Amino acid sequence: MSQLSLKHLEKSFNDARIIKGIDLEVSEGEFVVFVGPSGCGKSTLLRMIAGLEDVSEGEIAISGKVVNDLPPVQRGIAMVFQSYALYPHMSVYENIAFPLRVEKLPQPEVDKRVGAAAKVLQLESRLQHRPGQLSGGQRQRVAIGRAIVRQPKIFLFDEPLSNLDAALRSEMRIELMELHKRLGSTMIYVTHDQVEAMTMADKIVVLDAGTIAQVGSPLDLYHRPDNIFVAGFIGSPKMNFINGRVRAANGSTVVVDLGQLGIIELPRTSTSVAGQDVTLGIRPEHLKLGAGQFTLTITPNIVEQLGIHSITYATLPGGEAFTGLFEGNPDLVDGKPIELSFPIASAHLFDSKGLAVY
Amino acid sequence: MTSTRSATIFAFALLAPALIYISIIVAYPLFDTVVLSFTNAQLRPTYDWVGWANYQRIFGAGNFTEIIIRTLVWTFFSVSIKMIIGMCGAVLLNAAIPGQTVFRILTMPPWIVPMAIGIYMWAWMYNGNFGMISGLLQNFGITNGPVAWLAYGHTAFWATIVTDVWIGVPMVTIYFLAAMQSIPKDLHEAAWTDGAGRFYRFRRITLPLMLPAIITMSLLSLIATFNSFDIIYILTNGGPSGQTTTMIIDTYKTAMGSRKYGEGAARAVVICIFVSIFCLVYFRAVRRLGQGEAK
Repeated sequence: MSQLSLKHLEKSFNDARIIKGIDLEVSEGEFVVFVGPSGCGKSTLLRMIAGLEDVSEGEIAISGKVVNDLPPVQRGIAMVFQSYALYPHMSVYENIAFPLRVEKLPQPEVDKRVGAAAKVLQLESRLQHRPGQLSGGQRQRVAIGRAIVRQPKIFLFDEPLSNLDAALRSEMRIELMELHKRLGSTMIYVTHDQVEAMTMADKIVVLDAGTIAQVGSPLDLYHRPDNIFVAGFIGSPKMNFINGRVRAANGSTVVVDLGQLGIIELPRTSTSVAGQDVTLGIRPEHLKLGAGQFTLTITPNIVEQLGIHSITYATLPGGEAFTGLFEGNPDLVDGKPIELSFPIASAHLFDSKGLAVY
Repeated sequence: MTSTRSATIFAFALLAPALIYISIIVAYPLFDTVVLSFTNAQLRPTYDWVGWANYQRIFGAGNFTEIIIRTLVWTFFSVSIKMIIGMCGAVLLNAAIPGQTVFRILTMPPWIVPMAIGIYMWAWMYNGNFGMISGLLQNFGITNGPVAWLAYGHTAFWATIVTDVWIGVPMVTIYFLAAMQSIPKDLHEAAWTDGAGRFYRFRRITLPLMLPAIITMSLLSLIATFNSFDIIYILTNGGPSGQTTTMIIDTYKTAMGSRKYGEGAARAVVICIFVSIFCLVYFRAVRRLGQGEAK
């Protein structure tokens, strides 16, 4: 049985539909990441699960029980806010103990639970400090501590790392993953950062304008995106898209005319794309220097040498932006044409509606 | 060295207009009042130095101590009621209720109406024969006959407090509302997620986080209320039989009514000492709050 189940979930603010019919099942112990661009409804969806936003239509069930009309505290969830939402006038101890004080637990029990959370989060020496005296990472840990002491069925994280600097963010990312392993609880995590999503998730839910664009494991989403939105969102640098037109589709191959770049023949069984305008997708990291199965020549406008790899930015004859990612530091210069190629198998094809053609 | 000196000169040049202005309209009159309080100045063009005689007279005989106590009691009740109503008003105005904006606007008239007009309105409402309050009470059968609220000592005392509260509440409400709205919404949502009800959140989050605003407003209101003159002067002129005479009214009557400028100045100096103590407390509280925030 799934621990969290969303059925036809909808949310409207006046006339604006923010969440447009979401169905999702989350199993116990899963680390699920909601990812999507700003305004896609991911935080609203999380707040609906938390009970901070009313449900307009549909149903939220936790452990088989419909919780639509239950206040947050009765849902068995705990939430970590983007701003941490620590109480500035209380000590770290009292911040972590807050939910237990609300429950009116006896002092020895409060001591025990706060102590245990502080130990897990390495906050023992900070318990008497005020939040204002802590670093960003420590504040984040206090916010997590406040969630842990409630021993919730589901942890909800709303962009918890977005206020931290890059170094601290990757450190906290690892800490959160370790915490998930240790606690084994279900965690739902909202982020707009696809790197966080790829590295942390058991299951990624990509949201686009209030609907689910795709649900799957990180590598599923990377290798077999269902649509052009997911293909463009997952992966960094993002996938290159080249406009083309299908010349022929015979049930085993699809022949796509890419204009000045030439003609490419892809192994696809679909015949419905015949004559359609389509989009060819190729990830920057799948490009190789030199000739290969499909070869093209580009002139980079900018070359970024990052030591571990190099990135080139160019514009194709059709006007599309085209990025290349190459291992090491090959001899690449701005304005000097280079010959590139990619294996046919690594190319993605999307029909005129943006859906993947397999 | 030169640059430091020129910076100092520049700073003084910038401060000079304010310093001159304050010297003329605050420092000199204050100094003159203190000097005057040691003289027997009256309407005559000349006066003599009398040392502590004025102070000995006002503290030795008469009802000055009684007036001080009355002023403190009047101020205490007025400020306390203003703070309580202001806090309740802010809570109501902050709640997500339909027509919130209308209610916010409706709190403003006591503050917007020119004070003298507002006070005269209250004077009419308190009137025994034509006043609305007396009339309503009679209509509802609560009183048998007309009640002239300003004609009796104890009713006049409370009537002046009610008017002072009416005028003072909007500012307190708006100030508290602003302080309340500056508390991040996340804190309430986090507490609500943890199961804290409305009252619990108010007690453990809203109130403690509003403490700086409450202390600041209480002390500022204390100073303003202690010095409140126009309400009592227009409503009762300190009467009946001195039952609403506060220190500021008493000083005015002594100096301007009886033309005893020397003695009036001595009474004014005592007010000044009280207000200075309130100011000291205020500045210390502000400094301590500042340090608390820095922690």
